[in-house]
Amino acid sequence: MNQIFSLNRWLLLTRKHWSENRKKYTLGLMALTGIMIVWFIFNIIMEPYNAMDESIQYGTYYIGLFIVGCLYGSTLFSELSSRPKGINYLSVPASHFEKTLSALLYGVVIFFLCYTLIFYVADFIMVKIANAVSYAYWEKHYSDGQAFSPRKIVNVFWGNERAGRVNINIFFLFLLSYFAIQSAFILGSVYFVKFSFIKTALVLIAAFLFIIMFTGKVLGSFVPIGGFSNGFSTYHLYSDGDMDKIIRLPEWINSIVLFLLKYAFAPIFWVVTYFRLKEKEI
Amino acid sequence: MISIHDLHFSYKKKKVFTGLSLQLKTGHIYGLLGKNGTGKSTLLRSIAGLLFPDKGKVEVLGYDPAKREPDFLSDVFMVPEEFYFPNVPLSYLIKHHAPFYPRFSESQFNKYIQEFEIPSDSTLQNMSYGQKKKVLISFGLATNSSLLLLDEPTNGLDIMSKSQFRKVMAGALDEKKCVIISTHQVKDLENLIDRITIIDEGAILFDQDIEHIAGKLSFRISHDSEEIKHALYSESSLKGSAIVTTNTFGEESKIDLELLYKAIVTNGPKVQSVFNA
Repeated sequence: MNQIFSLNRWLLLTRKHWSENRKKYTLGLMALTGIMIVWFIFNIIMEPYNAMDESIQYGTYYIGLFIVGCLYGSTLFSELSSRPKGINYLSVPASHFEKTLSALLYGVVIFFLCYTLIFYVADFIMVKIANAVSYAYWEKHYSDGQAFSPRKIVNVFWGNERAGRVNINIFFLFLLSYFAIQSAFILGSVYFVKFSFIKTALVLIAAFLFIIMFTGKVLGSFVPIGGFSNGFSTYHLYSDGDMDKIIRLPEWINSIVLFLLKYAFAPIFWVVTYFRLKEKEI
Repeated sequence: MISIHDLHFSYKKKKVFTGLSLQLKTGHIYGLLGKNGTGKSTLLRSIAGLLFPDKGKVEVLGYDPAKREPDFLSDVFMVPEEFYFPNVPLSYLIKHHAPFYPRFSESQFNKYIQEFEIPSDSTLQNMSYGQKKKVLISFGLATNSSLLLLDEPTNGLDIMSKSQFRKVMAGALDEKKCVIISTHQVKDLENLIDRITIIDEGAILFDQDIEHIAGKLSFRISHDSEEIKHALYSESSLKGSAIVTTNTFGEESKIDLELLYKAIVTNGPKVQSVFNA
């Protein structure tokens, strides 16, 4: 049998994972739904006329996704944090690739689908309730003047934002950065034996500060004063009084850099997770 | 089956093995003895692919254990000293864990569970440590893996369970399997193992077949002060002095593993010289 990937073995592994964790996952998803509903109720109570506006819905979805997704990601390989669980996990007759793929299926794909479904279930119910509350409030206070405009359920995957001359879907970028950051937390769960969430968060903050310092102080000292525009295809050299000078870079550089920034981080972290799992000793 | 050559292993600064070499064959139950911290568990984990050698080579069933390939993992089963079981019923093990082991036998598993007197309808979470361990041993045996590694299997078992364990193990071996039992409770392995390997200071101190030991050494109670003085090992008991001596006249005596172990640890070179003669 193939020692890297066998569909049958992988399905066995995913079923085994589900049967061992279904109680925990079901309770977790129920708790998450409860927390969202409580938060939305709080919002309706605090702002009865302005409840469940778009920013609340978008904010709840993305803040929740980042926090819960990264927390869950940091527990995906938590078995490796204790010797008995680690021995049990590493001794299961499946390849490291299958184990990584199974963890990613639950941690990335299924979690994302369940979270989005839960959000929309809670959002659908609470928007209906918010509209009823807001309508009653409107009838009492504003019915003679302003028109009542009911809240709509937002599409959390679509939101146009104008950047320069182009429209970008800002929420698509949010999603990409979520998957990139979550993948770092997944890697952290293999690297760090204890407190992987906190340690990964600290490493990410340190890495972020290092990149800022490096680009600002080190790279900045080699590059003339200016800034990029239109992605990375144009560099404006600032000059006192005169017109700005423009350096145009080849389009392929811009395309490659943007592609890597958007899509490369998560897969790179997933691949590193696989190799780290392969070299894990218990 | 298992070939270990020049194994070096250390935990950060603490060296555990500095050139350990060992060959183990199928059809035997090996007793791996040694003081606490001498590397018994480390050796088992290296064989199981859970630890990687710093230097040297470990080959098990023709595989490099460190690669942890699925075919290797399905042919090796380890019962660690500290183990983990999810909170699931026994039937879960058969439904979700057993399919990973192509030679798993449900009837064998049920038979072992019965022999260990485990209620088959209970959940693992509701079981005592000893019961869980017996389930794990039963499962390991029922996988029919070529290699079974047991790390301190009798720890946490009561007197009756220890005797059940010996009975179950004795009936489970065939010429295609190899069992390695690591323990410091040597009494628990009596009449079970057929080769003794003693590790000390990261090296093999003693490695002999039980049959060979019985031919070379004699274990008995003695009242003869001269004999006691020249014994390889002696300790006083209520009946007299328990001694280990050279079996000069080819007499048959029951091997006392505890005495043998003490003799090797305290008087290793002299005991070894008996086997080299």
